[in-house]
Amino acid sequence: MAGIIVALVIVLPWAGALAVWLARNKHARLQHALAVLFSVLTAIVSLVLFLFADTEPAIRIPLGKAFGDLTFVPDGLAVLLTAIAAVIGSLAVIFSVDYMHGDAQLGRYYFLVLFFIGAMTGLVLSGNLLFTFFFWEITALCSYGLISFYNDDPKAVAGGIKALIITQVGGVGLLAGTLIAFANLGSFQIADLLAKASALPAMALAWIAFSFLVAAAAKSAQFPFHTWLPDAMEAPTPVSALIHAATMVNAGIYLLARFYPAFEAVPGWRMSVLLVGLVSALIAAVSALIATDLKRALAYSTVSQLGYMVYAIGAEGVFASQFHLLSHAVFKALLFLAAGAVIHSVGTRDMRRMGALGRQMPFVRNVFIVGALALAGIPILNGFWSKELILEIGLEHSPLWAYALMLTGAGLTAFYTLRMVWLVFFGEEREPLHAHAAGLAMKVSLGILAAGTFITWLFFGGLNGLLASTLPIHELERETLLEVLTAILSAPATWFALLIVALGCGLFWLLGRKSALAQGGWLDPFVETSFGFESLNRWIVQVTYQVAERFSVTQTGELNWNILGIVSALLVVLVVLWLGA
Amino acid sequence: MIFTPLNIILFGVVGLLGVGLYGLLITRNLIKVVMVLQILIKAVILALVLAGKLSGHLGLGQSTAATVIVADTIVAVVGLALAVQVRRRFGTLDVPRISTLRG
Amino acid sequence: MELLNFTGLIIIPLVSSPVVYLAGRLGTREITLRGRSYLVRVAAFLALLAAWVPFAASVRTLFLDGTQEFNVSTIWLRVDGISLFMAGCVLLLGTLVILFSGSYMAGEVGEEKYYAMLLAMIGLMIGLVAAGDLFNLWVWFEAMAISSYLLVAFYREQSASLEAGMKYLVQSAAGSVLVLMGIAIVLAQAGTLDMAQITEAVSGSAVNRLALLGAGALFMIGFGVKVALVPLHTWLPDAHSQAPSGISAMLSGAVIEIGLIAMLRALATLTGFALSWGILLMGFGALNILYGNLLALRQTFVKRLLAYSSLSHVGYILLGLGIALSAGIELGAQGAFFHVFNHMLMKGLAFLAVGALMYGMFLQNGSHRALKIEHLAGAAQKYPLAALAFSLALLGLGGLPPLAGFMSKWQIFVAGFQTQNAWIIVLMIFMALNSVLSLGYYAPLVNLMYRREASPKVAAGKPLTWTIALPLIVMSLGVIVLGFFPGLMDWFTVAAGRQFMQMFGK
Repeated sequence: MAGIIVALVIVLPWAGALAVWLARNKHARLQHALAVLFSVLTAIVSLVLFLFADTEPAIRIPLGKAFGDLTFVPDGLAVLLTAIAAVIGSLAVIFSVDYMHGDAQLGRYYFLVLFFIGAMTGLVLSGNLLFTFFFWEITALCSYGLISFYNDDPKAVAGGIKALIITQVGGVGLLAGTLIAFANLGSFQIADLLAKASALPAMALAWIAFSFLVAAAAKSAQFPFHTWLPDAMEAPTPVSALIHAATMVNAGIYLLARFYPAFEAVPGWRMSVLLVGLVSALIAAVSALIATDLKRALAYSTVSQLGYMVYAIGAEGVFASQFHLLSHAVFKALLFLAAGAVIHSVGTRDMRRMGALGRQMPFVRNVFIVGALALAGIPILNGFWSKELILEIGLEHSPLWAYALMLTGAGLTAFYTLRMVWLVFFGEEREPLHAHAAGLAMKVSLGILAAGTFITWLFFGGLNGLLASTLPIHELERETLLEVLTAILSAPATWFALLIVALGCGLFWLLGRKSALAQGGWLDPFVETSFGFESLNRWIVQVTYQVAERFSVTQTGELNWNILGIVSALLVVLVVLWLGA
Repeated sequence: MIFTPLNIILFGVVGLLGVGLYGLLITRNLIKVVMVLQILIKAVILALVLAGKLSGHLGLGQSTAATVIVADTIVAVVGLALAVQVRRRFGTLDVPRISTLRG
Repeated sequence: MELLNFTGLIIIPLVSSPVVYLAGRLGTREITLRGRSYLVRVAAFLALLAAWVPFAASVRTLFLDGTQEFNVSTIWLRVDGISLFMAGCVLLLGTLVILFSGSYMAGEVGEEKYYAMLLAMIGLMIGLVAAGDLFNLWVWFEAMAISSYLLVAFYREQSASLEAGMKYLVQSAAGSVLVLMGIAIVLAQAGTLDMAQITEAVSGSAVNRLALLGAGALFMIGFGVKVALVPLHTWLPDAHSQAPSGISAMLSGAVIEIGLIAMLRALATLTGFALSWGILLMGFGALNILYGNLLALRQTFVKRLLAYSSLSHVGYILLGLGIALSAGIELGAQGAFFHVFNHMLMKGLAFLAVGALMYGMFLQNGSHRALKIEHLAGAAQKYPLAALAFSLALLGLGGLPPLAGFMSKWQIFVAGFQTQNAWIIVLMIFMALNSVLSLGYYAPLVNLMYRREASPKVAAGKPLTWTIALPLIVMSLGVIVLGFFPGLMDWFTVAAGRQFMQMFGK
C-alpha cells in the first residue's frame, strides 16, 4: 500500500504533465482544469502518505550494477518535504489559473510545473543516490525552463542559463560525492552510506561531505553560489513561489539534513556549514535592504532565510532547520503569491512605482502583511517559533559571535520586511497605477497559505515525533509542542531576540520610512555585484569565451595546416610510446 | 654492409614517405596534392612488398600491394574528379583560396 | 550461399546498392522522373528492412553459440559482441536515415547515386566491424571512406560542400596511408595479418618492439583521422556541416564510431607492449571534450555546432574505453558502448531534426542555405515535432535526465570513480564540468525554438512530410525510453564490453 502511494505521488504529477501537454494549447480551459486536478490529487495523496511513514523502503526495484536498486523511502523527512512540494505545488497551480490566464504556451508552462512537482517528490523520496541525482537534475531542468519561460526577454534567457549552469556545477558536487561513496561502499543506497559512514576512509568521507556541501550551497543559492536566485526572478511569479522559494531551493537543506549524521564527525564540516549559512543570511539580508524590485527583495530574503536553515544544521539543529523550512515554505510562498497578485494587477515589479496599493487591493494587503509578520518573526505566526528555535539552538551550539550575527540578521529581516510592506501598500501614491482586485483562484490559494501561516507551528509535536521515530540514525531529540513552547517563551534569549526584531521595526519606522527609496550609498556597489561574486561569474564566462575564441584560430580551414595536425600528432604519439617503452 | 638490396628498398620507403608528407605540408595546388598522395601510396606499396619479403610471406605482401593499387586508384580518381569540380566552382585550385570554412 | 547469417547482413545492402542505382537510371520513357525517384526510395528502404532478418538471426546465433567465423573466398569475417552491436547501430540509423531521406532528397539531381552510395556505405561499415584480418579491415575501411567522400560532396553545385569533400578526402587518404604503413610493419614483424594470431606472433622475443610501437602509433593516428581525435579532427566540422542532413547523421552517429572500432581492433593486436593504450585514449578523450565544447560555444551555424559537439562526445567514449583499458574496469567499456548507441540516437536525431527544419524552411522554398542559429527562433510554432525532437536530442546530449545521454555518461562516471585513482577521478570531474559547459550552447538553442516571435524563415516555412516525421518520433521515443530504462540496452552493451576486454586480453 505504501508502495502504491509513493508511486502515485511521483507518477500522478507526471501523468498530469503529459495530459496537459496532450491537451494542446488550443484548449486552455481544459489545460487549467487538468493541471489543477492532477496537482490537487497529488497534494491529497502526499498528505495520505503521512500515515505510511516508515524507515524501510516502500519500493525496491533492482536495476543492475551501474545503477543499484531503485528504492523509495517514505521516512519522516521525505514525507514532510513531499507534502510541502505537493501542497504548495497545488496552490501555485491554482493561483496560476488566474495569473497565467490568457497566456500563450500554457501547455509548456503546466508541463514543466507538474514535471517539477513529480521530480521534487522523487528527489526527497529516493533512497538511491543515483536517483536523488537524477531527480535533482530534472528539477534543475524544469527550473531552467520556467525561468526562461518568457524567452523573448533576453533577461529571462540570461537568468535561466545562469541558474542552470550554477546549479549544474553544484550537481557535479553531488555526482562526485555519490560516486566516491559508491566506489568505497559498492552501494548507492542512502541508508548504507549513513550506516557505514564511520567505516569509510576519513579522506573519502571528507571528500563526500564537502562535495555535498558544494551541491547543497549551489542548489539552495547559498554563499558563494548565491548569485543565481535574484536573477531567477524573471520566472512567472507562481513559479518563483513554488520552485525558488518553497521547494527546489530547499533541496540543498534537505541534502545536508539527510546526511548530517554521516558527516557531523568530519573535521571542519559543521563549521563550514555554519559559516556558509551565516554569510549567506547576512549578505542577502543586507541586499534586501536596498532592493527596489519587489521579487528581487523577496529572493534576497529567501537566500537569507535559507541561510538560517543551513546555519541551524551547522549548529546541530537538524530538526529546527526542517521546522523552519516548513514555516518558510508556507509564508514565503504566501509572500510571493501575494506579490504575484500585485504584479499581475499593476504590471510592474518596481517598488519605486508602487505605493498606497493597499486601498485598492485590501485582501492581498492583508495576507501579505500576515506573511511579512511571519518573515519578520512576530509571534504567534509560524516564522516566529521556528526562527526562535534556530536562534536558541545557535546560542547553545555555535560560537557566541555567530549567534550575535544571526541575531543582527533577525533585526535586518524585520527592517527590510517592513520596508517592503510600506513601499508596496502604504505611503503615498507615487504613480497612478490602476490595480484590480485579485481573482477567485488567487484568493483561494492566498487564503489557504495565510491560514497555514497561523497554524503550521501547531504541528511541531507531531512532526518531531514522526521524524524522531522514522530517522533513528539522526538521533533527534523528542519534544512535545508544549515543552518547546514553554522552553522558547521562558528563555531570556527569546525576549532578547524579540527586542532586536522590535528594534529593527522601530528603526525602520523612525529612520527608514522617509528614506526607504533613497539609494544605499556605499552599499549599492556591493549589492549590485552580489558582493563581488557577480563579477566573478562574469569573469569566468568572459575567460571561457576568450579561450574559445583563441582556440578557434586553430581551425584554420587550410589543408596544409590540417595535415600539420596529423603529422605532429603522429610525432607526439610516437615519442610518448617510445618513451614509455 | 649498409647497402643491401633490402636496405635500399627501406630507404626508398622512408624517402618516399618523407617526400610525400613534406609535399602534403607545402603543396598548395589541389592536383599536386592528389599527386603527392600518390607518392605516399607508392611508399606504402613498396613497404608492403618489402614486409612480405622480410616475413617470408612473399605472396601475402604482393597481393596486399596489388589490392592497395586498385583501391587507391579509385581514391585518386575521386580526388581528381572533385578537383575538377572545385576548379569549376571556385575558378582556382589554390588551397588557401578554396578555404572558406574555418573557425 | 546462406543469407540468414551475418554475411547476409553485409551482402543485402551491398548487392542492392547497384540495383538501386540501375533502377534509378532506367532509361525507358514510360517511367516518369517522379516515378523513378519513388522507385529508388522504396527499393532502398525495402533493402534495408530486409537486412533486419539476417541481423536478428545473427543475434540469435551469437547468444546461443558465441563468436562465429565466416570465410567468403579470401575474406575472413569474425562476428563477435562488438560486431553485432555496431552492426545494429548502423542498421538502425541507416534505416531511419533512408526513410528520412525519402522526402529530404526528393528531386535532387543524382538521387539514385545518393541511395546507392548510402546503401554501399552501410554494407561496408557492417563488413568492417566483422573483419577478421588486418588488411581486410583496411579494405573495408577504405571502401567505406570512398563512399563517404562522395556523399559529403553530394551537392556538387555548392562550393562549400566541394571544399569539405576535398579536405575530407585528402586527410582521410593521408590517414589511410599511415594505417597501411602500420600494416606493413606488423606484417614484417608478425608474418601474419589474421588479427587473432598477431598478438601471439608478436609476443616472442625476436620482434622489434620499437617498430611495433611505431605501428601502434600509425594505427592510432591513421584511424584517428576518421575518429576525429583532436588535432586530427579538422575535416570533421566542414564535412558534417556541408553534407546532406541524413549523411551528417550517418557520419556523426556511425562513421566516426566505426572508425573507432577499426582503431581498437588494430590496436588490440598489439596489446601487451609497455604503455597502456588506455592512457593515450584518455588523453585524446580529454582533449576532444575540451576542444569540442569550446569551439561549439562560438558557432553560428547549427550543423557546425553539432559537429563540434560530436568531437566532445567522441571524447566521452574514449574516456570510457580508456578507463576500461588502463584500470581493467569492464563497466567503463560497457558505458562507452552504451554512449556509442546513445550518441548515435541523439546526434542522429539532432541532425535529422535540423534537417527537418531545413527541409521546411529552405529546401521546400528552393534554397540550399545553411541553417543559422537565429533561424531557429520560434521554430516550435510551426514545427512543434521537429522542435521537440531537437530539444530532446540537445538536452540528452547535454546529459540531462530523464534522457538517454544521462545514463550512459553516468555509467562512464561510475567506472571512472571505481578506479579510485586520483588522476582518473580528476579527469571525471573535468568531464562533468565540461558537460555543464556544454549546456551553455545546447540550452540556448532549445530556448530559442520556443520563443513567441518567430523568425521570418520560420514564418515562411512549409510543412513536413510523414517520412520525415516518423524517424524523429522513433528516435525521440528511444531517447526518452532509454533515459528511464537504461537496462534495456544491457544485453547488447555487456556483450560488446566483454568482447572489448577479451580483445585486449584483460
